[in-house]
Amino acid sequence: MLLVKNITKYYGNNRAVSNLSFTVNDGEIFGLLGENGAGKTTTFRIIMGLIEASSGDVLLDGKKIDYNLTDKIGFVTEERSLLTKLTVIEQLKYYGVLKGLDERVIEKEIDKWLNRFEITSYKNRKIKELSKGNQQKIQFISAIINHPKLLILDESFTGLDPINVKMMKDAIYDLQKEGCSIIFSSHQMEHIEDFCEKLIILVKGHPVVSGDLNQIKEDFGIKNIMLRGNDLPLEKIKKVNGVISVSNVRGEVEVKIESKEVAPKVFNLVKNSNITKYDLVEPTLNEIFIAKVGGVHE
Amino acid sequence: MNKKFWYLTKVSLKKKVNSKSFVITNIILAIAIILLLNLNSIITFFGGDFGSDTNIIVIDNNTNTYQLLKQNIKSLTDTTEDMVNLNVTLSNNTLTKEKESLKDNEIVIVLNNSSSDYITAKVISKEKIDTLTYQVLSQALNSTKSALGMSINNIDPTILSKISSPVEIDRVVLSNTNTIDENMDLIMSSVFPTVILPFFMLTIFLIQMVGGEICEEKTTRSMEIIISNISPKMHLLSKILASNIFVILQGLLLIIYAVIGFLISTNMLKDGLSLPSEVTSIFDSLVETGFIDKLIYVIPLTLVLIILSFIAYSVVAGILASMTVNMEDFSQLQTPLILVSLAGYYLSMMAGMFNGSILIRILSYVPFLSSFISPSLFMMGEIGLIDIIISIVILIGFIYLLLHFGIKVYKVGILNYSNEKVWNKFFKAFKSKDV
Repeated sequence: MLLVKNITKYYGNNRAVSNLSFTVNDGEIFGLLGENGAGKTTTFRIIMGLIEASSGDVLLDGKKIDYNLTDKIGFVTEERSLLTKLTVIEQLKYYGVLKGLDERVIEKEIDKWLNRFEITSYKNRKIKELSKGNQQKIQFISAIINHPKLLILDESFTGLDPINVKMMKDAIYDLQKEGCSIIFSSHQMEHIEDFCEKLIILVKGHPVVSGDLNQIKEDFGIKNIMLRGNDLPLEKIKKVNGVISVSNVRGEVEVKIESKEVAPKVFNLVKNSNITKYDLVEPTLNEIFIAKVGGVHE
Repeated sequence: MNKKFWYLTKVSLKKKVNSKSFVITNIILAIAIILLLNLNSIITFFGGDFGSDTNIIVIDNNTNTYQLLKQNIKSLTDTTEDMVNLNVTLSNNTLTKEKESLKDNEIVIVLNNSSSDYITAKVISKEKIDTLTYQVLSQALNSTKSALGMSINNIDPTILSKISSPVEIDRVVLSNTNTIDENMDLIMSSVFPTVILPFFMLTIFLIQMVGGEICEEKTTRSMEIIISNISPKMHLLSKILASNIFVILQGLLLIIYAVIGFLISTNMLKDGLSLPSEVTSIFDSLVETGFIDKLIYVIPLTLVLIILSFIAYSVVAGILASMTVNMEDFSQLQTPLILVSLAGYYLSMMAGMFNGSILIRILSYVPFLSSFISPSLFMMGEIGLIDIIISIVILIGFIYLLLHFGIKVYKVGILNYSNEKVWNKFFKAFKSKDV
């Protein structure tokens, strides 16, 4: 279990992270979101022990993170952290040994993972000769080759096609089953919604939203009603108290409401129309992100 | 941690040794050094006017020294290793007739009697005579004149030899730096720059290698993964160790190439291990001047100084590389360091010209310069062994301080990807207590 307790980090007078706390339990996938420069990379660096927090603690299984514990952490950075002049096998061995693994163990793991990601034929190719997607796979393998206790994924799906995204997601779910705590960061909200049970949204180093994803959606209040049908009384719907907006989205009418209590009022207006769809849906994470992050900016 | 350190060192070293550039560079270096040491043989092989026969036509106007001159010319041409080939013949023709029929490869020497100078000579050729041939003819004529003079004045050749031999000087210096020979300055100014040149080249090589590797890991962002598993201190030390082993290996290879080139040039590979007379005579003169005795002390101490200097240069190169964001920045930042080593190289050469210079002596204790200057000053007798040992102690202290304060900068630098307020960041890191 990873425990991040009240961490704050200053760079000179600039506060990069402010009083951040969260817990990632074993076998849990946790989302860390924020716009560029929100403090995600600083948080990851603090967790990895690359930099020290100005205050606060980071504990993995109750222990302060040191070089013995970082052997049990996997880290996929936003940029491809690969030595491009090395071959695939040299690169994976290099990171494997740095994580304290024996070379023979690494070789077995390399064969297993290259086979799983269908890139065995690239084993002796130089990293720089690989496509971006395959480089991303190598970076992912290098992070999980040690069967980490904690895995940090920072934009790990960048450059991957849907098939390879699925392949990587399956591998992540397998690690989750092994009890690995996973922190996932991405600007692609659909991946976060797919994966994460809990999340935090950072704005300028400060957490503005945190907790269980369903609860966050519930607490957000604003819901969407998706309508499809003929003769919908759109003007009447717009005048209902609690309706924020009415718009057309991909051939359907999206009615944005302030809370779920407004939904029955809308239903009463449309129930006598010729409707083929009435669906009360949760707001997307994207909407929540824009509302929260944009709101702070305003 | 130890296992990771040795692995990082091993991979770093292996990457350098297995690189195509290393193999290609060494092939070129080996060929270049061997060719350079055999340049004489190569030039001779391709031929030219320098080795062709020249006919010396002697018109002896009653001096009766033709045979003597011929003998002198022969003995002198034998010492030129086929660089000069002269066929001497006596002519009964007149000078006018010889001039009319003179060819490009012919030289006419007219010997005349002289009441004041025993003999005079006139040397006639169609074109300019090459320097070596002229020297042979000139010396042969001088020797002929001497022999003629001795014969006319009834002087015993052994007496003349004693008169003309140089005075035997028993040189005594009362200071503690004894066994001084003033010839040493000459030897130092010609031999030492050649000996120290590979060290200078390897130093530049080392600076670029350490910096290049750290820059590469920084720009590819691999540094974040590496540093999360091994401390910045261990990381820097592994780079320093690998690069130093590499340059020492490269230095040894240069020596091997030079030895092979030397063996080929002296035909020792074919004729067995016996040194040619020229080499043994140089060696003998070096023994006489006390050069070899000094080398016994100076070689181990110089090696220690060189290795410590390599370490100091690589620590600074590593720290500078950590402060840069890309390879271009590092190329700029390394320039002062290269200039310092260049200054050391020039000062070691100038030590022979400015005998007793206080400035050069003070600079011989300064880290980065000491490895260039100290050995040359010691060979010239300007400093003693204790001064070299002081330079070594200063250098060790300097490396300790470099590592102690530099690691703080390195730790901050390797994770810094911005040029904004960069010096502020490093100055703060320098002052911080955290290592």
